[in-house]
Amino acid sequence: MAETTQLELVTPARIMAQKSVQMVVAPGVEGLFGVLPRHASLLADLTRGIVEVHEDGKVTDRFMIDGGLADVSGELVTILAERAIDLGSADAAALKEKAANANEAEAAFLNAVIESL
Amino acid sequence: MASLKDLKTRINSVKSTQKITAAMKMVAAAKLRRAQEAAEAGRPYADRMRGVIANLAAKADASSAPALLVGNGEAASHLLVVISADRGLCGGFNGSITRQTRTEVARLQGEGKTVKLLMVGRKSADALRREFGDSYIASLEGVQGTAVAFADAADLGETVRSGFENGDFDVCTMIYNKFINAITQEVKLSQLIPAEVGDAGGDEAGSNYDYEPEEDELLASLLPRIISTQIYSALLESSAAELAARMTAMDNATRNAGDMIDRLTLVYNRSRQAAITNELIEIISGAEAL
Repeated sequence: MAETTQLELVTPARIMAQKSVQMVVAPGVEGLFGVLPRHASLLADLTRGIVEVHEDGKVTDRFMIDGGLADVSGELVTILAERAIDLGSADAAALKEKAANANEAEAAFLNAVIESL
Repeated sequence: MASLKDLKTRINSVKSTQKITAAMKMVAAAKLRRAQEAAEAGRPYADRMRGVIANLAAKADASSAPALLVGNGEAASHLLVVISADRGLCGGFNGSITRQTRTEVARLQGEGKTVKLLMVGRKSADALRREFGDSYIASLEGVQGTAVAFADAADLGETVRSGFENGDFDVCTMIYNKFINAITQEVKLSQLIPAEVGDAGGDEAGSNYDYEPEEDELLASLLPRIISTQIYSALLESSAAELAARMTAMDNATRNAGDMIDRLTLVYNRSRQAAITNELIEIISGAEAL
């Protein structure tokens, strides 16, 4: 069995995802970076972008985050994001409606999500 | 002695009050469950954020660290962020916040410091407006409820941060009710600026971290976020505590109304009996006189 690392994606409202994965790709402010098992401890500021979860060489989950923080230590990757949306279950029409009612920052984020769907 | 009709009216009015308090209790209980879940779901984010800040702060150089972390070296002016409820009928919930605020303001003023207030929630803002209305920098409503939006907390955090950077105040403390369990709330004071950081447990783990960008930059970008996060979790806790307080208060009110109805019914029945007896005596003595 392949080595895995534990991913936690946490927003202020709840824990979005918590699972063992083979690789996580996160949008750092200084560029995308991937985290494999036994990655060196790292604390990175994240920008708006997509967090990709890789399992068995394939992308299994994609989350859009609106900036945040990644804390990699030992076998644990914690991503703290103020806003996050699971692209796998997102619905463009519903998001569009939400964006119309949201404030500027929120709407900008939702539009970015819609574009990347 | 009240007439029978008066008593009847009184009993009916207590009964309808009881119905209202019973309904409010149920509503509060239903909302409480959701608010409690929200408060508990919000804890991991706050805890982890605190852990990261503690890790970074432990290594920050005291002389070059951002002012949000170490303060601006003065403590002449204080900002109190007071979180109360928008609505009443929740027992001592707002009262204890108001009282604590008054004590705190008196203490700080006693030490010769200027105090400013940022009021969140209508109740304490109204209660203290006459005394301290001049010190209000803002008073907000409608940010609490069963669904606290992080955006609201972020806005509040931004207000606090920009106020600090403009030199409006030197120290910022937040006063709110923490949800302990359904019958207990605790008034908490927590300091926002300078940021209160716990120990970075596990020094050896923190010593070989890589940072992206550099530590100072990272710390500077994170500190505003920890303020928002702290405010957000305080809002969540306070909302849950408010509903819990309301539930308990309404439960007591319903029980008291029940007791009162029993007492009034007893008086009513006695008076009715007395009236009947009186009438009988009159009839009998009237018949005897014939």
